[in-house]
Amino acid sequence: MAHDKQRVLVIGGGIAGITAAVDLGDAGHEVVMVERLPSVGGRMLQLSETFPTLDCAQCTLTPRTVETGQHPNIKLYTYSEVVKLEGGPGAYTVTIRRKKAYVDWQKCTGCGACQEKCPTKVRQNPFERGVGVKKAIYTLSPQAVPNKPIIDADHCRYLLHGKCAVCAQVCPVGAIVYEQEETFVQEEVAAVIVATGFDLYPMDALGEYGYGTVPDVIDGFAMERLCSASGPTAGRVLRPSDGREPRDIVVIQCVGSRDPEHHKAYCSRICCMYSAKHARLYKHKLHHGRATLFYMDLRCTGKGYEEFLQQSTEEEGLVYVRGRVSKIFREGDKVVVWGTDTLSGQPVEVEADLVVLAMALVPNPEQVELARVLGIPVDDNGFFREAHYKVGSVDTGCEGIFVAGCCQGSRDIADTVAHASAAASKAQVFLSRLRRRAA
Amino acid sequence: MSRIGVFICWCGSNIAGTVDVHEVVAELRKLPDVVHAENYMYMCSDPGQDRIKNAIQEKAIDRLVVASCSPRMHENTFRKAASAVGLNPYLVEIANVREQCSWVHQRDKATATKKALNIIRATMDKVRRNAALEAIRVPLTKRALVVGAGIAGISAALDLADAGYETVVVEREAAVGGRVRQLSKTFPYHEDARDILEPRIQALREHQNVRLYTGSRVTEVTGYVGNFEVAIATGDADPVRETVGGIVVATGYRLYPVEAMAEYGAGRVPDVIDALAFEGLLRQSMDSGEPVRRPSDGKAVQDVVFIQCSGSRDPEHHKPYCSRICCLYTSKQAALFQEQNPGGRATVSYMDIRTDCKNAEEYCQKNIEEGGLLYLRGRVSKVWREGDRVALWTADTLTGEKLEVEADLVVLAMAVEPSPGYAEVAALFRASVDQNGFFQESHIKLRPVESSTRGVYLAGASQYPKDITDSVAQALATASKVQSLFANEELAQDPLVARVDPDACSACGLCVPICPYGARELDERVRLSRVNEALCQGCGACVAVCPNKACQLKNGLVVQVLGEIEMFTEPDLAEACG
Repeated sequence: MAHDKQRVLVIGGGIAGITAAVDLGDAGHEVVMVERLPSVGGRMLQLSETFPTLDCAQCTLTPRTVETGQHPNIKLYTYSEVVKLEGGPGAYTVTIRRKKAYVDWQKCTGCGACQEKCPTKVRQNPFERGVGVKKAIYTLSPQAVPNKPIIDADHCRYLLHGKCAVCAQVCPVGAIVYEQEETFVQEEVAAVIVATGFDLYPMDALGEYGYGTVPDVIDGFAMERLCSASGPTAGRVLRPSDGREPRDIVVIQCVGSRDPEHHKAYCSRICCMYSAKHARLYKHKLHHGRATLFYMDLRCTGKGYEEFLQQSTEEEGLVYVRGRVSKIFREGDKVVVWGTDTLSGQPVEVEADLVVLAMALVPNPEQVELARVLGIPVDDNGFFREAHYKVGSVDTGCEGIFVAGCCQGSRDIADTVAHASAAASKAQVFLSRLRRRAA
Repeated sequence: MSRIGVFICWCGSNIAGTVDVHEVVAELRKLPDVVHAENYMYMCSDPGQDRIKNAIQEKAIDRLVVASCSPRMHENTFRKAASAVGLNPYLVEIANVREQCSWVHQRDKATATKKALNIIRATMDKVRRNAALEAIRVPLTKRALVVGAGIAGISAALDLADAGYETVVVEREAAVGGRVRQLSKTFPYHEDARDILEPRIQALREHQNVRLYTGSRVTEVTGYVGNFEVAIATGDADPVRETVGGIVVATGYRLYPVEAMAEYGAGRVPDVIDALAFEGLLRQSMDSGEPVRRPSDGKAVQDVVFIQCSGSRDPEHHKPYCSRICCLYTSKQAALFQEQNPGGRATVSYMDIRTDCKNAEEYCQKNIEEGGLLYLRGRVSKVWREGDRVALWTADTLTGEKLEVEADLVVLAMAVEPSPGYAEVAALFRASVDQNGFFQESHIKLRPVESSTRGVYLAGASQYPKDITDSVAQALATASKVQSLFANEELAQDPLVARVDPDACSACGLCVPICPYGARELDERVRLSRVNEALCQGCGACVAVCPNKACQLKNGLVVQVLGEIEMFTEPDLAEACG
């Protein structure tokens, strides 16, 4: 091997990738981490508070992102993608595309002047999920690791029209590079852990829920951003249409899930808990607000989850309606929700100010292409297929390539972290076999 | 005089929204030994840490206080930052002005600001008397202990052994394999449990790195991470003694006994059995090719009723929690029953159908639709004997009807509870348990396999009910943690341990039994109490009990603690500061 230390490629810098990378790094292996966003942290960076303890997500995450950024054995390629994997188990060559940040990260000190002065506010930034703005040059969060910005080429005035260049003027170290090209680097690795996470099923796939025509219908991540103390509203739940505090909210579970005829047949596993959490966080912020939740079954199966649910109904006053929603439409400045209460058999109509859809959890759209690049299988739903349902959920059937977290199947943070360490164990066992074979 | 640097973190609006961070800095700058004070939006961010590093170098700061969140979050971050520019990490202290101040006083900013200042001044008082310390380095034994040889324990042991580490496996029963040995086929692919288990048991038995003790128990554990001394009672006269560096606890579960459920006949109604007993009936039926027969008279079962949540989700009478696996295995048991007894009818009583893991929803739907299973939403209130059959009362909460149902056999999906003896196991390994007796992980999200004791890890259903897939994943996770641990040649420990003032110690010996970690002993030769620094966890029990004030904690001296307290008891601190 080219290196004394055995190296592992970790694709994805969310909580799964971070956990696997730190385990491997602590075990003395070198890790090459590739993350498609400009900084590590993944989905957890977008979250407000986590169930069932309602701990602040940033507070538990940042010690891990800091550790990842400073770990002597972890080499970070953020804002990058894996485009090719050659060779075989124990001796892979990976080609990594480093996307155009339009910022020389070597020179950038992370002072933040460019973000502050940039005149362009972008509502379409996927991180803020349509309920907040980012500038056209931005970092994902003030505690970003690494703390380096990128330019949003679709919205930057200079890149689009050749005018502005405010960021270049205010940057004290001349780090803005409008003519930056993407680059490709190659790294030698012995094993691969894939931890590319998940996305939510797009709301525009659902005509019946009025997305696009009704502005105050948002998805779960948008609700996370609204509840987050470091989010665009500093933790105030304000509806997107007019910035008012909603007096009535409706949370609809299983949107796109458990619906084999129209959408996804599977259960997305995490929505029951985060929906209860959303309703509770809302009630904590607006004590006189009303929260109604539509559900099919309440699936609160983890440690402390059933107790969380009981508390939600008995002490926090959440109103649960068992039934599916048939239609959502706008009436005046309200959003009207039509559904059926299957316990009473009666139709239900709720006039809400804000509707939160717990959308099905799906693999990232890029996952199919990545599976092809890596030569590992996906299942009918696009998740990576495990080698064995019971005892091989981190194995892919390809020696030396392992999967971790939601890219294999929906799971919550605790299960994701355990799954990621499991993948790290399999990678370590694989590397020690290689060592013994070489010796 | 010290040269103290103080950094106040806004934590976005978490602290700065309540505490006037600018006023705090202004007040601190008036103190004679504060050579630098500033505030910043996020001290833990890269630029925040750079500010600390630069100030340490530029202003020759020799004591550092960071006023921010709980030290459990970022103490390590700031110690590392200080260390990177040559400041001893034990001269860094965290003043918790978030959890202990801003979060709890959001309605009174003036008082919160005053209190934050008090907390910071108290912390400064402590750091002034801190000594520069070096981490304690202890050797490490690269051998692992796995307690329990069910599917979790076996999985952890095989990975550790495959990674090249000697692994001692202790199983209470004569046979290995745990609960999976009792199962018939598994959901959702109806793979025979034996086909999953047998190759692994064989690998375990044949592995050159595994030492397997069946019919054995761990009876004593002393020592600490890297060097646990373990006694194992094997049934032979003398216990076996092993030294291990890391421990995986995988002691599994049992079902809540049917006898505890009076409403379901307390185990006295024939043909009312628990789910594991039904697995046995399924196994028998598959092996013999005969239909599933009821235990009382051997008659082939025509009608079976499965009652989910038996003892679960019932905070008033039984267990408050959801047992997580029952919805899945009940669906499987009903489907397998219909395979074995064609034409048989299976009814499932449920509260919610919680088939939430991969492919489980599809599997359960298929069983309902293709198998014609009858799912009744409601709780069964009573089960009794009616002639030679079993009768029960339930309600269908979807139609509002009250129902009386008769069956040949009733299967109770009993709550999953920790294996008997969990309390002794917990005490042995100094692992804490939750209110339900499951082992407590050290962080519910980010440290799901770490126990409260360093070097002791938790796998499988002893931490919380989980299916085979999740038990195996968690077991492999413990194997990863142990491998990371064993990659070190020696372990670094915090030196915040007890020390003894030889001039004050009278060798009275009170500190020896009070120490929960076995870190104290009397040196009779010189009549002095000694501290084993590798064992000491710095809890301070000896400090409290010592009548001569001879025991002190490093960087937690009595004078430091009292100094901190005084900062809060001075009549009007705000004035004193001003």
